[in-house]
This record gives sequence, structure tokens and C-alpha cells, in this order.
Amino acid sequence: MRKGIWIALLAALAAGPTAAQELPFHGFVEAAAASRVANDDTTADDMLLEEARFQVDLIHEVDAATMEFRADFLHDGVVGESQLDVREANIVLTPLESLDLKIGRQVLTWGTGDLIFLNDLFPKDWQSFFIGRDDEYLKKPSDAVRASWYGEALNLDVAWMPVFEADGFISGERISYWNPLAGRRFGPDDPAIDPDNPDRSLGNGSVAARLYGTLGGWETALYAYRGHWGQPKGFDPAADRAYFPRLEAWGASARGAVLGGIAATEFAWYRSLDDRGGNDPAIPNSQLRWLGSFSHEIARDQTLGLQAYLERAVQYPDVGLTDQNRWWLTARYTGLFLQQNLTLSLFAFYSPTEDDAYLRPKMGYKVSDEVLVTLGGNVFLGAHDDTFFGQFEDNTNVYARVRYSF
Amino acid sequence: MKRFAIAAALSLLVLPAIRAQALSVDEIVQKANLASYYAGDDGMARAKLVIYDKQGRTREREFTILRKDKEDGGEQLYYVYFHRPGDVRKTVFMVHKYIDRDDDRWLYLPALDLVKRIAASDKRTSFVGSHFFYEDVSGRSPADDTHTLKEETDRYYVLDNVPKDPSTVEFTHYLVWIDKTTFLPMKAEYYDSQRRVYRRMEVLEVKEIQGIPTVTQAKMSDLNTGGYTEMTFKKVEYNKGIPDRIFTERYLRKPPRKYIRRR
Repeated sequence: MRKGIWIALLAALAAGPTAAQELPFHGFVEAAAASRVANDDTTADDMLLEEARFQVDLIHEVDAATMEFRADFLHDGVVGESQLDVREANIVLTPLESLDLKIGRQVLTWGTGDLIFLNDLFPKDWQSFFIGRDDEYLKKPSDAVRASWYGEALNLDVAWMPVFEADGFISGERISYWNPLAGRRFGPDDPAIDPDNPDRSLGNGSVAARLYGTLGGWETALYAYRGHWGQPKGFDPAADRAYFPRLEAWGASARGAVLGGIAATEFAWYRSLDDRGGNDPAIPNSQLRWLGSFSHEIARDQTLGLQAYLERAVQYPDVGLTDQNRWWLTARYTGLFLQQNLTLSLFAFYSPTEDDAYLRPKMGYKVSDEVLVTLGGNVFLGAHDDTFFGQFEDNTNVYARVRYSF
Repeated sequence: MKRFAIAAALSLLVLPAIRAQALSVDEIVQKANLASYYAGDDGMARAKLVIYDKQGRTREREFTILRKDKEDGGEQLYYVYFHRPGDVRKTVFMVHKYIDRDDDRWLYLPALDLVKRIAASDKRTSFVGSHFFYEDVSGRSPADDTHTLKEETDRYYVLDNVPKDPSTVEFTHYLVWIDKTTFLPMKAEYYDSQRRVYRRMEVLEVKEIQGIPTVTQAKMSDLNTGGYTEMTFKKVEYNKGIPDRIFTERYLRKPPRKYIRRR
């Protein structure tokens, strides 16, 4: 496996920048590895990531349309498989002057949070996020039709995803986790989550909408979503299986320039449709989510971003599984040095209600225009095994990536 | 006698011309600001930056830049689409530039489909890792400095510029050589607190495009580190009639094919 990575990388390096400029497509080759630093008693294997990737990106433009195809060919050494991960395969049409249609596989993002999502209910890949892949892979692509209408003062986005696409959730396949029902941790030697996916029928698709515009210098938006929870948070005792309960969400956000920085706030009301009364402990409660954030340039080429986030169970059932309120405070520092070739960053989550934390230190150095070396870590800290970040404590890892872009 | 008559005639022709050119310092500054940053009602160009470090190693940036003026000397809209290097390809940087408050800046990261609002109040930071600052690309407000005419040569007005708020900048003052016919600043030298020149901008090439004298090549040197950046503009076009709506979120996600060729 490791040989494969180096052959791919060397081949790309040997091709050289001159040859790369003449290629009819762009992309990168990347080798990446991550290892646990703590001993995890759910597995003997410390490697969380061991892969080689080759991404190609093709854009074709004609008068009436733009087509894009972007895909990763990868060899994943941890599971010993080669895969094709199509990130984008879509066509953008403009049937009316004020209407764009993007049809096909695409990455969808909206909302104001930094690594915290309220009204962005598009699929995420949390496993990739925790094992040191590039931030790009936190977003999973959707097979969707996105219609964007642009008016004088207001714009409307509607995204329809006919087939449910689950998050890349923590299943125990790589990252071990705490199972509250079993009262113990599960990991790679014995992954326990094999959820029941919704049938691939039109009724199980999801729809997300955003109405947005600028009001007095503030970028404001209203959001709506109907679909499923992205993670198998429900448990069906009859089938003895986890499943993806239905979800409806409504929300709003505003973002603007304040005190020399950028301030934003976002709100969402999650209606857990399979448990409207909030009585079933096996299905997530309806929630109110709130986010406030401020980011500011603290020195030349150095930025600090702060966020406060609250998740509140609406009809709190006192069954002892979760607290009614979960607070997160986050801080992101980013500094650019050496003519912006060196990036140092730290993203920290801290939960005062759960008494746990998650740190993402990262260093990226651009050796040349083509070669980027990234070193980083995912550090989980917690006093208890059953809190959100605390459960991952033994998965604390360091990673390294080398990417050659062309 | 005849010679005297010619001299007198010449002086009649020349003197009023000289008097007409006796511009106030403010007029020179305004004309230079308009000539360098507000040419035409809008403009576009394909720009290439070659960044040299002390060891002579180079890095390159290539982008298409669109600019639209809301009014001469006033608000402007900028749209910058990156072609190279590969890791920033397809990234779009958009600025709504204001005169009396901080600019609004956005960055579009295509792999995440993320429209990021950037908190950046300091305009004297490196533009995309080059030796040019944001302020060198989009213009330093004439109101930020006190200007005096230090010298007038055959070709240049040499202005001395002292910042009104020294805490916001890294220089103590700077000299600018403004071409008397085109009003383009052809050279600028920035002084540090030891009264040494530590930063220098030089125009290497000017071309007339659609009747507008245009800087097509410039160099910015950091004399402290020995590094410098050469910026070259190709395919410069003015008065394309670029609509305001190009400078909105829609076109961050969908780069305007009419102005930007990508592959």
C-alpha cells in the first residue's frame, strides 16, 4: 500500500510543472497518513488513515451550459480498498435570465457557522473530519437539483435531493465511540452501527430552501428543510436497528461588519417529526439551535474567530441520556507567515456543559506553488466516556499529508 | 530683433500653458488617483504575479480581475478569479470598496461551495503572498495622507506623503513620482523610522489601451528581505459595460463566462 502512494506521488513530481500546465485537466495527487497516539482498547490497529488520492477536475463550457466533473481515485489502506469518489458531476444551465439550475452531483453549503452547522443540513463526513483528511472532505456531495432565482432585492435557492444521503457518521469503523444503550465503547474490531437506510423512494428525499438578501448592510437569510437527520440518531426496538428519523427545520441568519470584524448570528428550530411529543428517548428531541460569532483580524495576517453555540432540547424528557442544554464555545486562530507560505491554525471546541474539548492544530507549508505539506492533529479531551468529544478520547491522532497540485 | 519676436511669440504660447499646468497638490493627487485606479468606467485584465524571494526562488499567481467604478474617486466593485496555482484555482475574491468605511470582502472556496466573509480591516497586508499590498492593488485613499509637492522636474511631480494616522501603517512617509502627462505614479519609495527606503514600487511598462495610458508592468521590492514581485497585466480592456450584478454571490458560484475563460 505505502508503495502505491509513493509511486503515485513520484510519478506526479516527475511529470513536473511544465508538463502539468499542458494537461487538459487539473487536480492533485496526495498521500496521507494518520495514527492514534493513545492506546485504544477497542482495536489493535493504530492507523486511522493511510491513503493515496488522485483528483481530476474537468470543466467544459459552452454558450448555454457549464459542465464540471471532479472525482477522486483513491486507495484506502485502512480498509484495503480502491474507490472512486465522485465529488462533482453536474451541469449548470441558465434557462431564464434570473434563474440558474445546477443539476447532478454537487457540494452544497450555506449558513454562517464555522464548522458548526445549523441550517446547513447537507451531508457531512464526520469520519473524514476526525481522521485528518482535508477540510474539503467534511462536505459530502449530494445528488441534487439546485434552482437559484435572483430577484431585485431577494434571492431564492431551492435544493431537492431525491435520494437520502446520510452523513459519514462515526460508526466504529475507524473511530471508536460510546454506545449509551450498551454502556460501553465500540471500535474497529467490533463496529456496532449498521443502520436501516431510508428506502430509495421519492418520499424519502429531502428539500432545502434559502431566501436571502442584504438588509441595511446585513446579509440575512431564512431557511427551511424537510428530510431526515443526517445521522442514525433513532433506534427502532422492533427491528433492533438504528435508523434516520425524519426532520424538519426552520431558521434564520444575519451576518455583517461590526467593530472592524465580522459578526453573525444564526437560529434554527429542528422539529423531530417522528417524536413530536418528545416522549421517546430512542428518537432525538426537537431542538432549538443558536449560534453567535465574531471574527476579527488581531494582527497583520492573523485572525481570531470566536463562536458560542447552544443546542436546547425542546420537550426535554428527563431520562438521563442527555442534558437539556449543550453549549459549545469555539475559537479559531489562523496566522499566515513567511510571505503567506506557512499557515498556522488552531480550532478549539470547548463544552462547559459536557466538560469536554476538541482541538485541531494544523500547520501547512507551501514548499512550492505545487507542493503543500500539512501536519496536524485531532485532540479529544474529556472527563467522561459518554460526552460528545470525551467518547473519542482514545482516537486522538496526528496526521501528515503531502499534496501535489497541477 | 527677429529672435526676440519669436521668443515673445513662444512665451505667449508657452506661458499660459505653464500657468494652466500649475496644479494644486490636491489636484495632482486626485488626477493620479483617478489615472491609476479609476481608468474607464470599468476594466478587466489578466494579471500575472511572479514573486521572487531573496534566493531567487519564484512563485506565481495568475488571475482575472474585473473592476467597476460606482463613481470616479468613489466606491468600486472588484472581482478576482484565480487561474493559478492549482491549489487556489477557481477561488474567487470579491471586494466592495468604500471610501468612508472598511471594505466588504468575500472569498468563495469552490471545493466546499463556501462563501466566506473575510474580517480584514488591515489593507497593508500582502496581496496573495506577493510584495504588493491590498492597498497597492485597489488604491490607498488620498484622504489618508497629507501631501506636499517636494519637487517638480521636467517629467515628474514628486510628492511627499505623510500618513495622518501613523499607527495604521508601517511607513513614516513615502515619495511618489507622478508622470506630468499621464498622471500615473511611476515610482514610489517608502521610508521607515530610520529614514531609510525599505520598499519601492517601479512601473516597468506603460501602454496606451483604448486611449488610456495603462500600467502593464510594475515591480514592488522589499529592500529589507531582498524579495520582490513583478506584476504584468495582459488583455486589458476598458468600458466593457460590466453590470453590477456580476459582483454578487451568484457569480461567485458561477463565474461569468463572458469575462472569464476557464478550463
